[in-house]
Amino acid sequence: MTAQALIQVLASGLLMGLIYALIAVGLSLIFGLMDVVNFAHGEFLMIAMYATFGLVLWTTLDPIVVAPLVVGLMFCVGAFVYVAVVRYAMRTKANAGMVQIFSTFGLAILIQGGAQYFFTPDYRSIKTSWLGGHTLELGGIFLPWPQIYGGLISIAAFAALSLISRTDFGKALEATREDQGAVALVGIDRNKVFAIGWGLGAALVGLAGTVLAIFYYIHPQVGATFGTIAYVTVALGGFGSVFGALVAGVIVGLVEAITALILPPTMKAVGIFALYLAVVFFRPSGLFGKL
Amino acid sequence: MNRRELLLAASALPLVGLAGSASRAFAQGAPEVVIGVLYAMSGPSAQVGIDARHAFETAAEIINGSFDFDMPTAKAAGLQGLGGAKVRLVYADHQSDPQKGRAEAERLITQDKVTALIGCYQSAVSSTVSAVAERYGVPFLCADSSSPSLQRKKLKFFFRPAAQDEMFSAAMFDFFDAQKKKGKKIESVGLFYEDTIFGVDSSNVQRKLAAERGYKIAADIKYKSNSPSLSAEVQQLKSADPDVLMPSTYTTDAILLVKTMAELGYKPRNLVAQASGFSEQVTFDAVGDKLIGAISRASFSLDLAAKRPFIGKVNEMYKARSSRDLNDNSSRELMGLIILADAIDRAKATDGAKIRDALVATDIPGTRTIMPWARVHFNEEGQNPDASPVLLQYTGSKFVTIFPEDVAIAAAIWPMNG
Repeated sequence: MTAQALIQVLASGLLMGLIYALIAVGLSLIFGLMDVVNFAHGEFLMIAMYATFGLVLWTTLDPIVVAPLVVGLMFCVGAFVYVAVVRYAMRTKANAGMVQIFSTFGLAILIQGGAQYFFTPDYRSIKTSWLGGHTLELGGIFLPWPQIYGGLISIAAFAALSLISRTDFGKALEATREDQGAVALVGIDRNKVFAIGWGLGAALVGLAGTVLAIFYYIHPQVGATFGTIAYVTVALGGFGSVFGALVAGVIVGLVEAITALILPPTMKAVGIFALYLAVVFFRPSGLFGKL
Repeated sequence: MNRRELLLAASALPLVGLAGSASRAFAQGAPEVVIGVLYAMSGPSAQVGIDARHAFETAAEIINGSFDFDMPTAKAAGLQGLGGAKVRLVYADHQSDPQKGRAEAERLITQDKVTALIGCYQSAVSSTVSAVAERYGVPFLCADSSSPSLQRKKLKFFFRPAAQDEMFSAAMFDFFDAQKKKGKKIESVGLFYEDTIFGVDSSNVQRKLAAERGYKIAADIKYKSNSPSLSAEVQQLKSADPDVLMPSTYTTDAILLVKTMAELGYKPRNLVAQASGFSEQVTFDAVGDKLIGAISRASFSLDLAAKRPFIGKVNEMYKARSSRDLNDNSSRELMGLIILADAIDRAKATDGAKIRDALVATDIPGTRTIMPWARVHFNEEGQNPDASPVLLQYTGSKFVTIFPEDVAIAAAIWPMNG
């Protein structure tokens, strides 16, 4: 393997890593806000991909143009899921963690089944788009434009998130996360903050969905492929840490690419999880999680 | 009624339902042969299962109705050996999981009392299902799984009318040899295969054949199926740059592989696929523009309809259900059920051992099938040794038969990307 091939693999890994980070950050955000792991996160991604596909087919516009619409739609989906399901799951006094896990897990199965019923299990893909199939060649290194776009969108989303945390709403989020009871005293509606938090989480994974739809196949089970990666990314970066999700996403992308080079490619998931277990050994709450 | 009583009453309900349906069946007195069909109806390969269902329903229509096709069981309505009994299909969803396949096979045999089983697409699932069928003495017709290892267990109740990967791969290397004789350059091959029994078995055969016939293996890559990214794998293929890329992949990975190759600027000089993902219409719908000149092994070609017009009619019946043409998989499934029904018809019984004897005695000339096969009969391993495979090349709009030469309708475009 030449140096050029090595750089190619690392560059591909980096770009995919940024996209993994964007997929994972919504999950991390929701967890950080209210200690709930959303097991339907991969399904949110799948809904966003189908929504992008459907809108592109219907309007004949480019996936990039319809992206804001999909993100808006996903915000509503996220907020609705909180209001209709999670809010009730959180009311239980005993085994709260289990109830939350099973309610979101059940939701995942329901969404998958619904997608298979309504959209059929056929594999879809967006055939023509501005970026789809185009590649930037830099001295023998091929960087696909959809992935470059994905990487840039991911960085922009993380920048936007760090700005939000400085606004009044960001402070309300932070306060609600610190003490759910106390915020009520200063007039913050806990349910409203949580609903917006879920909306934001779903909107972020929705944004990732609009990027993936350009270059990945769309299928009712596509969420499972990326879901596992999202969970290990959040755990590696530290539950609830937005910055941790960014760093961990990039690490996962790179480790995956490097493992596939050194070991048989079928072992590449093993590399990621071996790294995670090593991190657990030294920092059980993840790289940037609160100890 | 307290909660416990309610639960008890609820659990008894299905029993009442069962008793009801059983008495209905007796009341009608219509003889029926129940066949268990095992496919993934959900999960990443669900579309294959849904297409399979359409293929089996078409086959059942042919068996139960009366059609002027020169195929076994077509002319008479129902199975004459069993007084015109109709075939009824019971479906089970194995979700591509060998363990679920095992459990579902057991359920079909013990609860639905099926006469025979048919399935399962994924070789890994056919492996567990064939073991269950053997234990209960129920014939298992392996319609479309191609791993050679399935027949090596010397099971008594395992029957495969279609070719397996040794036969398919041998056809590929025969084709390479023929191309070489014509002065085309083929020195190295690149193996790229998924990590379940299908991919691994396929690669084992191809590795062995390459060594025997003097082709260098430039790349030998086993990858994780349903991966989010195949960039690193494709980079290795690109670095190795074999004369022929030989993928053994299911549909999801086939689409991702082709997309990733295009993104990384890798145009394989030739691509000869172990069908599967590369025989699915959806793959060509998604990335067909990048696959012009790709070759896949196949058990079926619509070109044959020119010689046997009933193939075209059967295809129309299937298309009315599924809105797509018969392909490599659905044709084998359809034909498989007809071969199984023909054996049950000749056995004149629904007893497993008698059907097995009838399957052993099967001898159908290839011209009475929709396949390019020379003949249907089974050797001591339950394999049809005369299920002659073909190679098809994608021209951008359709597939044409290019090998073997006696059935070819066009010369191969070689190399595919010059």
